[in-house]
Amino acid sequence: MPKDDHYVIIGNGPAGNSAADTLRKEDPEAKITLISDEKSLYYYKHRVPLYTVGGCEPEDLSIRPYRSYLENRIRLRLGQRVEKVVPAEKLLYLNHMEKVHYTKLILAVGASARRLPNHAGFADHLYCLAGLDDARRVRKAMMAASRLVVLGGDLISMGFAREARKAGKEVVFILYSSLFWPVSLKEEIQQSVTKRLNSLGVKVMSDAEPVTDVRPEGEGYTLTLPDGEEMSTDLVLSFFGSVPNIRFLVGSGINTEKGVLVDHLMRSNQEDVYACGDCAQIYNPELKDYWVSVGWGNAEAQGELTAMNLLGREKVIDYQPKEIFEMDGVTIRTSWWKTFA
Amino acid sequence: MTTSVDIVIEICGSAGEGTISAGEVMTRFMSSKGYEIVSFDSFPSEIRGFGKCVAHFRASTETVLAPGKYTDVLIALNDAHAITQLSGLRKNGVLIYDSKPPVCHEEDRSIAGWAEPGMTAYGIPMLELANKAAGNAKGRNMVAIGAVACLFGIAPEEMTAFIERRFKGKKPKIIESNIDSFLLGYEWTKTHVSKEDPYTFKGAEIVPPEGEKTIMNGNEAVAMAAMDSGLRLYAGYPITPATKIMEILSKRLGESGGVMIQTEDEISAAGNVVGAGFSGKRAMTATSGPGFALMGEMINLAVMAEVPAVIVNSQRGGPSTGLPTKMEQSDLSAAVNGGTGDSPRVVFAPRDVVDCYAITCLAFYIAEKYQTPVVILLDFYLSNSIRNIDKPVPPDAEMCSSNVFPADEALDDYERFKITESGISPRTLPGMPFGMFVDTGLEHNTYGKPVYDGENHLVMTEKRYRKFHTMQAELPPAVETGTEGEVEIGILSWGSSSGAAEEAVRKAQEKGQRIASFHCSVIYPLPEEALKAFSRRCRILVVAELNYTGQYANLIAPVLNREVRRLTLITGLPMASEDILEFIGTFKG
Ligand SMILES: Cc1cc2nc3c(=O)[nH]c(=O)nc-3n(C[C@H](O)[C@H](O)[C@H](O)COP(=O)(O)OP(=O)(O)OC[C@H]3O[C@@H](n4cnc5c(N)ncnc54)[C@H](O)[C@@H]3O)c2cc1C
Repeated sequence: MPKDDHYVIIGNGPAGNSAADTLRKEDPEAKITLISDEKSLYYYKHRVPLYTVGGCEPEDLSIRPYRSYLENRIRLRLGQRVEKVVPAEKLLYLNHMEKVHYTKLILAVGASARRLPNHAGFADHLYCLAGLDDARRVRKAMMAASRLVVLGGDLISMGFAREARKAGKEVVFILYSSLFWPVSLKEEIQQSVTKRLNSLGVKVMSDAEPVTDVRPEGEGYTLTLPDGEEMSTDLVLSFFGSVPNIRFLVGSGINTEKGVLVDHLMRSNQEDVYACGDCAQIYNPELKDYWVSVGWGNAEAQGELTAMNLLGREKVIDYQPKEIFEMDGVTIRTSWWKTFA
Repeated sequence: MTTSVDIVIEICGSAGEGTISAGEVMTRFMSSKGYEIVSFDSFPSEIRGFGKCVAHFRASTETVLAPGKYTDVLIALNDAHAITQLSGLRKNGVLIYDSKPPVCHEEDRSIAGWAEPGMTAYGIPMLELANKAAGNAKGRNMVAIGAVACLFGIAPEEMTAFIERRFKGKKPKIIESNIDSFLLGYEWTKTHVSKEDPYTFKGAEIVPPEGEKTIMNGNEAVAMAAMDSGLRLYAGYPITPATKIMEILSKRLGESGGVMIQTEDEISAAGNVVGAGFSGKRAMTATSGPGFALMGEMINLAVMAEVPAVIVNSQRGGPSTGLPTKMEQSDLSAAVNGGTGDSPRVVFAPRDVVDCYAITCLAFYIAEKYQTPVVILLDFYLSNSIRNIDKPVPPDAEMCSSNVFPADEALDDYERFKITESGISPRTLPGMPFGMFVDTGLEHNTYGKPVYDGENHLVMTEKRYRKFHTMQAELPPAVETGTEGEVEIGILSWGSSSGAAEEAVRKAQEKGQRIASFHCSVIYPLPEEALKAFSRRCRILVVAELNYTGQYANLIAPVLNREVRRLTLITGLPMASEDILEFIGTFKG
């Protein structure tokens, strides 16, 4: 590789970091830059629910110190958003008006909280939890709250409900079983989820979807249920999984659908542009279709694999789910979701 | 809640972008509110151009004595220049930058791109807002001040009132566009930025200034003290960082009947001062290293002819024209030992703005009474550093007229250079009946007549040195701070570095260290007894100064006669307490 190669990775999550680590390991000379619009250092997302209830501090979420990037000569640009990618010029534009040139680019931009279209009228009153920035807002609001309503959900919502209960909050869970993410709940799993939530002291309502309105009232909020009944609460949280962060790629010529479309070697349609992790939609030759990936372990594995492919060491993705996800005693078959001890 | 606040702010831009004036507005405003301020500006030596300008200031509710090595808030008016200042920004510091430059920065040229994790970067569209407010880019600095006011809890109405006062006399349009730019910066920040950093002036516990205060820098203090001391002639040639003294006197000295002359060079300036001193008028010149070098012969003449003269040398980086706009304390050796022959001269080095006033008054008194040149060593930082000080008390009549005249009977056979116990020979002024004498640069007898024999030379040399013994009783004592009695570490410093030493001692003491500082504004004659006494109570002695060779350490070495550890810095910046703390932090055991 010529010395003036510049590998740029957008995204400071597990996909981006494992790609950066692999690149550094395999190519000690290369110039590597990791850009992310989040200001926080690489952190454990699964601990975020605990953080929202004051159970840990930001430093407990941190995976590695800034120093380790310096030592590995990985230029870390945090709090810097890529606004535009121009593959023809191999050029990125950052939000603070700076150009960055790359020779190879990895998109590891993850996903943001998915919001339901029929919640659009009151979306401003719903709290989400896709990362640490959200978590800071939720934590602040949680301090004054004793009663919470969770609309959802997804795998994260269950972890959150558990922590909220442990912290002594009253939790009502309005279960949108057909919209559960990443898989809609089959009868059997729904029962299992409900049972588990009940055992935590969470009140589960499985016949109250969709909520038709949320409006502020006094210090809290009032929800309107489909039957017109109203319910008051201190805080309403919305958990419906995630959507890949691909909007900034519009007009770039990089093919996207739900996520960034990549082949079995994680290559996009544009030369030297790769994608991995939650933002990627990967071609599965067996299914003859694309699938969106989710989960920490998945992102990590894909980051490494993408880096290897970028370096020309062809490595094809393993399509079989590695793990059966189990959370709070509920078993959900899903690809790649990782259980943390 | 009211709290103590100590924030270091730095504005960095290109010459012509209003960096220094933004700093001045901020420092004078904060100072008028009762904050303790220490400021330090640096700018390019070229009169116009695109060089880097930095206005650095520290605003605190506590007494602060040094500018602070690390910056809490960096305001970048020019990314290319400000990037080099990032290394001084604290790990959790705040960066304010222009988020809408006219063109997109090339890779690595944007300061926001270099902000480290932990720092908070706020992008403010300074250029866009300035254009909106005034139709041009000039108000970017005021937009930035608006953002600062909003982010750090400064009431906008207080600042606008201050701007009005500060710009009084300027065209109403100028005042208006400054205020509009400020307000736009404030409002934009209020609506678009959510504060994420911990710094604020809100709720700061400020002790409202008691008594009459005045805001001035070292140069202003020297000029004012000179006028209050009865200055009749200022002769000088402009040179950074001393020019301001001349500027002030050119405007104001005439009011009291004095005269300001801009001479063709520094030799002439010093010659004018010696001439005026000879004729009994208080006279002064101010220069910097290169000019001081030229004045050497005239200072020697004043030593030999026993003529009063006050010479201010505001030091900058040297040798030669050196580093015109950088800070250094490297003319000490030249000031003390720069004469040919055995050429004693008084050397003072004030520690701060208050001291600048007091020392200048004292310089005139001592010069006149002891018939000697007195050198006042300022420096780039002290000359420009703005402080809010108690209005100085002008010197009394005795201080303003200190010539020792001969008794009438002595005029029967007037000996201008009479040998006395004190070394002071009563002096007549030109025109006094029977007081005529010959005065030259040649060695002379008691009548002033040239005499070259060794015996006479010894007697005269001893007499000239004896004056320095005699004056000791009238000179200000050394100041010691910190732990009393025996201490682990003693820090000696001089001039404007003394503030940093004192602050370092205070911080180290808070951590339980036995430590003390020593400062004396009198460099020569050396305060030998005080130095020895201080040395006796310190296990380790540190001399902290801003030159390469340790000039003060070298000067006092024969007196102390022991090992000292030298902290010698030539970074172009003033000494910070952190420099000293980091230095003593490396000591083992
Ligand atoms: C609260 C919570 C709990 C979770 N718990 C688990 C769990 O227990 N087990 C599990 O397996 N998974 C869990 N996950 C999911 C897991 O964290 C994700 O699948 C994983 O983080 C995806 O990694 P990634 O690297 O693809 O993207 P991310 O980790 O999302 O990182 C992408 C980064 O790119 C940044 N970015 C996006 N667009 C831009 C742009 N234009 N410019 C610059 N930067 C950009 C984003 O801000 C983000 O920082 C959890 C997620 C959350 C939110």
